[in-house]
Amino acid sequence: MTLAGGNRIPRSRPRLRRVLGSVGAAVISPVRQTLLFASLAATVLVVGLSRGAWNRQVWVEVTRSLRSVAVQSLGTAVGTGVLVGFVLVAQAVYWLGVTGQTGLIGPIIVLVLVREIIPILTGLIVFGRSGTATLIELGEARTRGWLHLYEMQGLDPLTLLILPRVLGFSIGAFCLATVFLLTTVVTGYLFAYALGLIAYSIWDFGELVLRALNASDFIVPPLKCLAIGFLVALACCATGLGRGGETDELQRLVPRGFVRSALAILLVNGLLDLVM
Amino acid sequence: MAIAASGRSVLSLQGAAFAEHRRSAVPALLDLDLARSEIVIVEAADEEAAASLVDLCLGLDDPRAGRVAFLGAEWRGMSMYDRLDLRRQIGIVGRTRVWPTHLSIAEAILLPRLYRAQRSRDELIVEATALARHFGLPGLPTDRREATARRILVRAACVRGFLGTCDLTVIQDAALDEAAELATPLAQAIATVKERGGATLWITENLGALGARFVQADRAYRLGDRGLIPARRLT
Repeated sequence: MTLAGGNRIPRSRPRLRRVLGSVGAAVISPVRQTLLFASLAATVLVVGLSRGAWNRQVWVEVTRSLRSVAVQSLGTAVGTGVLVGFVLVAQAVYWLGVTGQTGLIGPIIVLVLVREIIPILTGLIVFGRSGTATLIELGEARTRGWLHLYEMQGLDPLTLLILPRVLGFSIGAFCLATVFLLTTVVTGYLFAYALGLIAYSIWDFGELVLRALNASDFIVPPLKCLAIGFLVALACCATGLGRGGETDELQRLVPRGFVRSALAILLVNGLLDLVM
Repeated sequence: MAIAASGRSVLSLQGAAFAEHRRSAVPALLDLDLARSEIVIVEAADEEAAASLVDLCLGLDDPRAGRVAFLGAEWRGMSMYDRLDLRRQIGIVGRTRVWPTHLSIAEAILLPRLYRAQRSRDELIVEATALARHFGLPGLPTDRREATARRILVRAACVRGFLGTCDLTVIQDAALDEAAELATPLAQAIATVKERGGATLWITENLGALGARFVQADRAYRLGDRGLIPARRLT
């Protein structure tokens, strides 16, 4: 490329611009996505706090969403609880027994299970069982035309599609986490007892766990579950409704939603760990 | 829902031009005034133009020029929530293929009328069931869209649009134009809307459409490059 005067533009400049452009695009895109996500979260919170948003149809949708998360995912939570109970609690009991540190069973379970594993796995169960369904449902809303139909009918997509899912997922995640924790602890105890690794009663075992809990353990882990449910729902709704159109394949929504949900789960877990 | 006060314009388009992104539809400025108890049929041979006109009337698109008002209130300048509130006074008979995937057909029919409505669910179910029978269905279809036959979806879309007491009913779907077997129930439903003071706007592909042949329209127009031109219907 030459200018009229014959001065040559250095070759490196367009290449440098291209490199800078691609670096900029790689930075701007996730920043924009994050800001959009944050603004959606703020909008949902503001709308959710206004009384006018909660009409009877929204509550019908909340019930539907809650049923999908807390009832239909119950089997998955119990099944995962049994497996985790066998692996984690039984192993913890065994190895602490081997090292003669059985008194640490309570703190270990509280530290690993209550504070970390349960919220993270609950988030993943909620995503896998209900989040993917939401991604596909809402991913079709624009392409099948019913999002436009909602607007034609004067139905607010935010209060009818996002708000109920956010509340349903939050409460549902908390309920699932409770069932998950109980299943894990009971299963772990039963396996350990059956294998002769421990000799004390389930009540003594429960007391060990309870003694290891401090006040923040009754606040932060439940808060983690509520926040994880909120963000998983928000990530799935935003990803589903943000589908570009027919050219944006539906199959690509699930991995995209998974990455966003997983990041949200780990972010909430990490941030609330700092608070603890 | 309230019916527009006597003599008040229900829908008014004054020199309205399609929105910028719909410019390809029709370049002309549109003028239309729809009073209560009036029935107007508009022929829009182009599907894109028909859809654009619906979006313009419903305040989904702002006009590039001119003004569009519903019940005396201009859509432009209204907040999103005010627009949504006002749109709930409009019945949409159309989009016969479009149904939310996570709801049954019955739930999707009732949803717009249950949302912020004062009427009880049971009362609406009774009214919807009567309308379903009027359109030749045995009752409200309870399956989801995928499991429901096309002819049932067309009838269910009629129930969805005529349910309640909307100020304006907008009809637009090629399936309804062709549905000769629905001509009588549609004409009766439109006559009922007229009796209670509601206005009806039917946007059809052809003024001689079989589905609209029994509708006693007060005026008919043809949408073309020169705007809405009065036309005569051959009945």
